[in-house]
Amino acid sequence: MTAVALRLPRTRTLSPRVEVVLLRVAAGVVLLGLWEGLVTWLSPYYVTRPSAVAKVFWEVVSNRPTPLTQLSGSFWFDVQTTIVAVFEGLAIGVVAGVIVGLAMGRLRDVEWALKYYIGALFAMPTIAILPLMTLWFGYTNTARLWIIILGAFLPVALNVYDGVRKLPVTYLEVARTYHARWWNVWFGIALPASLPYLLAGLRLAAGRALVAAVVAEYLLAIKGLGFFIRSDTQSLHENQAMVAVVMLALIGVAINASIDLATKRFLPWYRREGR
Amino acid sequence: MTPASLASERPAAVTDTGGARIQIEGLAMQFGELRVFQGIDLEVGRRECVSIVGPSGCGKTTLLRNIDGLLRPAEGVVRINGAPVTSPPKGVAVVFQMFGLFPWKTVYENVAYGLRMAGASKEQIREKVPYYIELVGLNGFDKAYPYQLSGGMQQRTGLARALAVEPEVLLMDEPFASIDAQTREILQFELLRIWESRPTSMVFVTHSIDEAVLMGDRVVVLHGRPSSVQEVIDVGLPRPRTRDTLATPRFAEVREHVWSELMQEARQAERELQ
Repeated sequence: MTAVALRLPRTRTLSPRVEVVLLRVAAGVVLLGLWEGLVTWLSPYYVTRPSAVAKVFWEVVSNRPTPLTQLSGSFWFDVQTTIVAVFEGLAIGVVAGVIVGLAMGRLRDVEWALKYYIGALFAMPTIAILPLMTLWFGYTNTARLWIIILGAFLPVALNVYDGVRKLPVTYLEVARTYHARWWNVWFGIALPASLPYLLAGLRLAAGRALVAAVVAEYLLAIKGLGFFIRSDTQSLHENQAMVAVVMLALIGVAINASIDLATKRFLPWYRREGR
Repeated sequence: MTPASLASERPAAVTDTGGARIQIEGLAMQFGELRVFQGIDLEVGRRECVSIVGPSGCGKTTLLRNIDGLLRPAEGVVRINGAPVTSPPKGVAVVFQMFGLFPWKTVYENVAYGLRMAGASKEQIREKVPYYIELVGLNGFDKAYPYQLSGGMQQRTGLARALAVEPEVLLMDEPFASIDAQTREILQFELLRIWESRPTSMVFVTHSIDEAVLMGDRVVVLHGRPSSVQEVIDVGLPRPRTRDTLATPRFAEVREHVWSELMQEARQAERELQ
């Protein structure tokens, strides 16, 4: 009797939220541990491993121009250069993509003229035309900017086009009934109605812009995180290069998180629509 | 109940329709090979509500879009105030079955939409929008988004948007078809109250016979494939109409009549299938 009474039902001492965080951290630790273990066991001493990256991390992010970071100069300057280039290119590419996407969605002639070309450019790895860009713009920041713009422009244009094509007929009937002008139909109805598509395109665009920036810096040897990675790897400072890689991951995550945040903050109606 | 006996029992108090606002002459519509309706002649008065009923696919909604100029007819002409309709004319508002509210706009902005598009001044909008929001019973919901509203409240918003432009012609495209039965009844009487206080030309397309009889001064029954006007029934129920109207013998009589007209066709269609 007493034995039964003492056996209380097992209570959860952790909230589900804490449990999720713990699981996440544990998975990270296991992955890093595997990496550390396998490299220590199988590879020569100079191959990058988490502990070695951790050792140089502070040195890199504190911007000290040591012999190790001399080739690329200061880390934060490179971070800033890359971020500024990505945002410039994203801004131009997204605005252009929205306008071209709306035009393709609303004007039959524009759709017929551009649809296949934009589709083909999107399907092609944008980086493949980087050599062309260098012919036109040289090994310069301009070439990098153009490749970022292209990377951002294509997914946005295609997604907005898609969204506008799927515009509910009723919206257009309402617009026509109340004599909306074309600019209201474009920017007041078609654009907000295809916002879910635009946001999906924006995520793709952000990823592509970041890739374009890094690869351009890497191949054209111009200032930025891409070149930081290249020069440090070539001088056998892989651990320092890894710090830049981590930084790039953080930038990508930050961009996506801010898209989410902005969606929740400024478009409260969006996720509730069930679309 | 035959059409003849119904006509003889028609009460003397026929609504003064104020002369024709909408004139439809020899209207036919075709989508590719499919002929939807043909030979439609109809007039709607300045202060008259005409209900249109008919089986699914008979072109009720298409007819409404022809009147609004959203669709070009294959033959015939629609005139509003004597002018042929080729594109959506001024002074016509539509209430849509699926509401047609913009999910990114608040109730206030949705109601203001027609006024803004008509180039109304800020003062006009500030004065009219709250008035119509209150008229349809949405006080306090100005800042709500459509997703925060029930279907009934969404259609109240749709109604307010249509009324806000103070239209001469109000086109109702099965406005309460996607709303639950109780709310639907409430909205029917609210619409009656609003419309009867300021009657305009109203064309009311519906699946519901009760609704058609309750709202309309006349009920147009469409029939056949391609469809045409089978009968136009004078409802002859006095206004204002209330819940009590539903209990009158006249209401039952007209409803039975419309029902038998529609059933006749349904049975015929069934026979053809067999």
